Amino acid sequence: MNPVQSFADASHSAVPEVLLVDDDEINLLLTAIGLRERGFKLVEASSGEQALELLRDWTPDIIVLDALMPGLDGFDTCRRLRRMHGFENVPVLMLTGLDDDASITRAYEAGATDFFVKATQWSLLTGRLHYLLRASRTRIELERSKSKLARAQDLARMGSFDWWRIERGVPGGLRVSPEALRVFGFGPQQEEVSLRMLLRMVPQGERRGFLRLLHEAMRHASVLATDVPIVLFDGRQRIIHVEAEPEFNEHGHGAGYTGIVQDVTDRRVAEDRIRQLANFDSLTGLPNRRQLIWRAERALELARRMQHQCALLLIDLDRFKVINDTLGHGAGDELLVEVGRRLRACVRHSDQVMEGAIESGGARSHRALEAVGRLGGDEFVALLPEVAADEDAERVAQRILDAMREPIFVSGQECFVTASVGVAIFPRDGNTVVDLLRNSDVAMYSVKAQGKNASALYSPQLAGHGRAKLELETALHKAIERDELVLHYQPKIDVRAARMVGAEALMRWQRDGVLVPPGDFIPLAEETGLIVPLSEWALREAARQAHLWQEAFGFTDSIAVNLPSRLFERSDLVEHIHQCVTAFDVPHRVIQLEITEDNLMKELQNVIPALHRLNEIGVEISIDDFGTGYSSLAYLTTLPISELKIDRSFVRDLGITPQSSAVVTAIIALARSLGLRVIAEGVETLRQMEVLHRLGCTVMQGFLFSRGVPPDELQRWLEQTVLPRKAPWIGAAGEHEGLETAVAAAGARPFR
Amino acid sequence: MSSEPPRAGSSDAGPVSLDAAALGRLRELDPDGRHGVLPRIFAAFETSLMRMLVQLDAERELGSASVVSTVAHTLKSSSASVGALALSRACADVERRLRAGEPGEPGDLDADVERLMNESEAALLAVRAMLRP
Repeated sequence: MNPVQSFADASHSAVPEVLLVDDDEINLLLTAIGLRERGFKLVEASSGEQALELLRDWTPDIIVLDALMPGLDGFDTCRRLRRMHGFENVPVLMLTGLDDDASITRAYEAGATDFFVKATQWSLLTGRLHYLLRASRTRIELERSKSKLARAQDLARMGSFDWWRIERGVPGGLRVSPEALRVFGFGPQQEEVSLRMLLRMVPQGERRGFLRLLHEAMRHASVLATDVPIVLFDGRQRIIHVEAEPEFNEHGHGAGYTGIVQDVTDRRVAEDRIRQLANFDSLTGLPNRRQLIWRAERALELARRMQHQCALLLIDLDRFKVINDTLGHGAGDELLVEVGRRLRACVRHSDQVMEGAIESGGARSHRALEAVGRLGGDEFVALLPEVAADEDAERVAQRILDAMREPIFVSGQECFVTASVGVAIFPRDGNTVVDLLRNSDVAMYSVKAQGKNASALYSPQLAGHGRAKLELETALHKAIERDELVLHYQPKIDVRAARMVGAEALMRWQRDGVLVPPGDFIPLAEETGLIVPLSEWALREAARQAHLWQEAFGFTDSIAVNLPSRLFERSDLVEHIHQCVTAFDVPHRVIQLEITEDNLMKELQNVIPALHRLNEIGVEISIDDFGTGYSSLAYLTTLPISELKIDRSFVRDLGITPQSSAVVTAIIALARSLGLRVIAEGVETLRQMEVLHRLGCTVMQGFLFSRGVPPDELQRWLEQTVLPRKAPWIGAAGEHEGLETAVAAAGARPFR
Repeated sequence: MSSEPPRAGSSDAGPVSLDAAALGRLRELDPDGRHGVLPRIFAAFETSLMRMLVQLDAERELGSASVVSTVAHTLKSSSASVGALALSRACADVERRLRAGEPGEPGDLDADVERLMNESEAALLAVRAMLRP
């Protein structure tokens, strides 16, 4: 049911209230009785004055006025009540004589709604009253719906207009509703608004296009629907939606337009924002994954059509996690913003792509797709919609690597960032965006595997490596249960005393009869989390070996096991070590733990409690690769550690670059002043040994003494080489005079 | 109320009676007489008519056409309503003549007043007969 209809019906059912005014009491009485009889509620007045008095605080539904009355007659009464607020539209029925034409005219002039000839036929009068009431109600409904519409339009910042063109001497014009005036920023007092005035509000740049659109619509008498920017007189910029339908004259020619204008600025701003959020990365402002894929798909379509190649470059930052972990996420974000800024300078980056422009923009339009986007995390993609050869893409890759060379300042600190770039070329390396992304990823990983900070083109061989990696992962899962893992041991030597003072356990994987080097599976184990069970196994195995050696040759030193920081974060580490040593009846101190400096500092807060507990039960901690990361010296003084291990890179350059011996000297001095032992690893030549010894480091490890060997072999080495003092390095240390001989004997070649 | 419906009356012949059709319409307003509508109307008409007669009588001295016109207008419709058709007709004639400003003979106004008074008195008798049969 129509709600307006139902409202009218509801008011219709109420008893209509009538004010009856007549100076003739007989008529007053008779009419009142007649109307009451027919369902009206009557209030009688015997003069115009009395009627106006009654109307001061009551509004009847209809007023019936006798025209001729002494004093204030019906005409004057009507005239006066029409001037009263709220009575402008109340229906007034004037009662006149049958033959009184003059009164009828005067009645309308005085503002009466209608006239009725006085008669005693009440049903006729009743009919007329009902008709007037219904007309009045319709009018009220109309007024109400008009004001509702105005209010709704106002709320919707909408207004209506009519525009008609000059026709047969009738001037054209524009009629704008008050609500529409408000849309254009005019007050209700604005007298007249011309089309020219409104058009001038459209900024010059857009006006020509808009006018063209208007003319086009008028020429075809077609529907007009468009958004147009305007500048209000107070300088505010708005976007107005215009929607209008043509009006036709009797000849079927377009005579004008009728329509609405609506301020859609907020909606447009919101839409733009949504589009921005949906397609762009909020951190860097670069196109996001979705937008990139969209662009890449368009680029592929066009490349297919125009028979050229495109390139997809996957850019992954190296060691970004370290920066994020050490400097915090805020700094990480800052860094990504700067990286994004630099990357976009490496290509002809276009922020916005108009969908239509790509389809119709001519032979070079695909260039507009070129962009750098952020896939997420520290992964970026550069899309090159047309490359003539691999070299084009490689040139961009090189530009990207070069762009990273300059340090980036984040959190007041200079950071050096490098990237690994993988390149895939359409159509050679893939026919779809998904394939290209996957293959650029494969290429990128190959860069990472080969030491990062470079770029590589995809090749099918690389994908083979990917498969191999998957197989490796599966096999590693089963390595423990299949007993394929073994520990090799590299002795730690006190060169002054020429004796072994401990050993480092090194994990090896005996896979199908081949020994897999740790570099091939430890990173994978760390990546997959397998490192945890692997490390736990190593601790148990080391404890078992300590027991065996104790039995065999009275071994009382410690075996160092390398642990990743995540194991230190496990609350059950202490308990696990306790179980291992107890199981093999060896003291806790036979297990020494090595943690790399990087690992330690990265997770410092999480690792400290474990370090303290381990220290309490007698498990010593050694810091591996010392000097390569950035240790906080303040922390070093308070950490419960026992040993620093000078990184092999410094040892390698000893005697070659003066800086190395400076670093080694500094580390030794630091260790000494903190009361820590110091050990050098990677010692391969007698010269290195000699320099280290001279600088004050006497405990060493390296191929000069022994590589990592199976436990039996180590025992044999001890028995056959160390105890009989048969090795060239024995006696060299501490005896400078004998060193030259030793060097000559060894040929200054490292043991391999 | 008389069970015998009164005959249509005239000022010239015999005692005046009220128009039957008009009375019929009045009775329709109160078919079973429960609300005493007819006596109320007749009483109101009697009062009003008496007042008008006084005004007309006074008018004979002053000779004011506008008062005569107003009296004629008022009586025209109320007398028609109660069925005093002769009086109503007389009122209509007088009102029309006065409103049109027809140039009458001297003494025409007096004649009008005389005619209205005569018809009024006849109507008064008829109404009284209805009220107090």
